[in-house]
Amino acid sequence: MSNIPKSFHNNVFINCPFDKKYMSLLNPLLFTILYLGFKPRIASESFDSGEARINKILKLISSSKYSIHDLSRIKSLKKNEIYRLNMPFELGVDIGCRLFKKGAHKKKKCLILEAKQYRYQKALSDMSNSDIKKHDNAAEKVVRQVRNWFVEIGLRRVENPTKIWERYNEFTADFYEKRKAEGYRKRDLQTMPTPELVNFMREWVKKNK
Amino acid sequence: MARRTSRSGGGSKRIHVISRSSGWAIKREGASKAAKVYTKKDSAIKGAKRSASKGQNIVVHKKDGSIQKWEEK
Repeated sequence: MSNIPKSFHNNVFINCPFDKKYMSLLNPLLFTILYLGFKPRIASESFDSGEARINKILKLISSSKYSIHDLSRIKSLKKNEIYRLNMPFELGVDIGCRLFKKGAHKKKKCLILEAKQYRYQKALSDMSNSDIKKHDNAAEKVVRQVRNWFVEIGLRRVENPTKIWERYNEFTADFYEKRKAEGYRKRDLQTMPTPELVNFMREWVKKNK
Repeated sequence: MARRTSRSGGGSKRIHVISRSSGWAIKREGASKAAKVYTKKDSAIKGAKRSASKGQNIVVHKKDGSIQKWEEK
């Protein structure tokens, strides 16, 4: 009998950068996953200084059937900036989990996102014959690519990408209006912890979808 | 005074100016599709103002979906 929890089939591990600029892509990504009925799992969902980060990542990967890896920070943007290796590393761990574990883990599915179509082939040539989707660092394209990927791996009766993008924009308006009314300031919104934001998104989707 | 949203009831439906890969769309909340898509954002904002009725909220979004400007006609 499998000891895989039921939540495994609904969890989507997100492996992405956490810089300020990426938040404009992460938020619509989180929203889309929730809108499609899945649960985003991300390293920033919990914070425990006593837990080694790699252990947290391993738990998230192992407990998620789906994963989305954004490699768009594989190239440094300015002189002396160090490019990030965490994302390719975690992609490797995820693929290893699928290959070396048994049972439900063999059915894991992953989506690789990049800002540009072919850049990753140079940085990560072992994956050069894998399909990826590009988002051009545009939030609307993130929504479109993620939604389309879920359809391509079998999700049915899904609203079209434009509709989901419009719903995300409506969410941001409601979110802004309600949090302002509750006394949140601009900085509170910009630095809102991921679990709090995800909770607001989940409530909105439940009420408005 | 707190603004009322269409979904919380009472207020008139907001009009959104939303980024599209092909330009900027005017979308009324609850409508099945965008009223019109403009190439330029400025034109879309002007179009939204023209089609809004008195007291209606116009929400102008940034390219990433966040709020740039919120005004009432």
